[in-house]
Amino acid sequence: MHPSLSFDQAPPISVPYRFFLVAPWFGVMAGILLAWSGQDALASRWTPEALALTHLIALGFMLQAMSGAMFQFIPVAVGGNVWRPRLVANAVQPVLVLATLLLIAGFLFRRPGLLSAAVPLFLLAVGGFVIAVALALWRTPATGMTLWAMRMAIGGLAVTVLLGSLLAESLARGLAVPIVELTNIHLAWGLGGWALMLLAGVSYHVVPMFQLTQPYPLWFTRGFGPLLLLLLLAWSGQYFLDDLRRPVAIGLPLLAVFFAYAGMTLWLQYTRRRKIHDATSLYFRVAMLSLLAFAISGTAFFLVPAIGADPRSVVWLGVLAFAGVFVSAVTGMMYKIMPFLNWLHLMRLGAPMLAVPNMKKMLAAEMMTGQLRLHVLALLLLLAAVWLPGLARLAGVAFAASSAWLGWNLISAMRRYQTFRDQIRAVALHR
Amino acid sequence: MTTVIDGRELQPPEPMERTLEALDGLAEGDDLLLLLYCQPHPLFNILKNNGYVWTEELLPEGTREIRIRKAPG
Repeated sequence: MHPSLSFDQAPPISVPYRFFLVAPWFGVMAGILLAWSGQDALASRWTPEALALTHLIALGFMLQAMSGAMFQFIPVAVGGNVWRPRLVANAVQPVLVLATLLLIAGFLFRRPGLLSAAVPLFLLAVGGFVIAVALALWRTPATGMTLWAMRMAIGGLAVTVLLGSLLAESLARGLAVPIVELTNIHLAWGLGGWALMLLAGVSYHVVPMFQLTQPYPLWFTRGFGPLLLLLLLAWSGQYFLDDLRRPVAIGLPLLAVFFAYAGMTLWLQYTRRRKIHDATSLYFRVAMLSLLAFAISGTAFFLVPAIGADPRSVVWLGVLAFAGVFVSAVTGMMYKIMPFLNWLHLMRLGAPMLAVPNMKKMLAAEMMTGQLRLHVLALLLLLAAVWLPGLARLAGVAFAASSAWLGWNLISAMRRYQTFRDQIRAVALHR
Repeated sequence: MTTVIDGRELQPPEPMERTLEALDGLAEGDDLLLLLYCQPHPLFNILKNNGYVWTEELLPEGTREIRIRKAPG
């Protein structure tokens, strides 16, 4: 293209990339921690190692990558503009990294002071991010359920971090709060209200676009987000109202909603006219199969309390949700977003269209599918390690290796961008 | 004359590449019909910044018909 056309002011490429490039290395840390701790780490959800592992993935991997993606996704998908994205990203991201490391160290070394130190940093970083993103999401003239899902998700993130801050302060200062109940609400909002809500909203847009499926049916997109929100409110309300007589009455519909989203996405993939088996499609399939397994196992744990009472059953669900659903879906998205952004930003340099390399040249397909295979192996080992603790160290090594490979792939994509950019600039100088 | 680009079974960024190529040859009074399953906001911004206008219609089965022409005047 098109030196004559001017491109929009999407955020600088450094804004999403600074988040993406950091995320995998938190996965590496999680793998190393599991390999180091061995079988005790997965004995229950309450071990210091399990808490540290959960937050390495939830904050280090997922929140980093999802925040970076939001900076990019808001202008591209819903036509909104985040206020001074470079400034916000430069301020938010390092504080978020520091806060995450302090929290992890606080859990692992049982140092209340570190938990307390992390809280104001989280409130500052996530608070700044939530305000900047919420303003962009409310000001955009766009419409549609992707936008509404993103609005609900950013609210879900705020609730999650507020509850998490309260929990961290309670642990640090020994405050008398119902820790188990608050943790369950915190977890439901983090996984459901923030992460799944965002994933679903983004799916409505990117699954048809990148995986060439039919669009999600309108009745589904209109129903999924509001229903999920209502059920999360009911799930939280039962704890506040001290009415725990019917957790199954809310829990089972919640699991049914998860099942419906996973089933619908797999159905759309299955019925598409042009079959594509790139890393993103396969990663989405792994994520959706994990979500189906989560919903089915959760239902079994509700209905057969003898299994559900085993502390490892919650760890099983945790592995399915964190490593199975979200690490997979987020990785699949990054594998699509980075080549696309490389292409888009090279086009913005004003080079002739033929001078801008094809998206497939931004990241080698075999590197992505190779990493995907290792991730699936790591996921299977992690799931097995929940019931066969002797496998925990091996699972940790596999997960660390898979995350490091992902980190390397993303660095390679960024380097390719720099190389092509320099080539285009050099040609322009000599014209 | 209407040029049609069916981007519904093309992987991004191919629909945008084809649209930008077609815009180069778009004469006064001609229009370009782009069929997609999503709203192409990056393309809309390019059109807005470069003197094109467009209309958009969502068909019941989910296809978006985006009709692009040069802005009058």
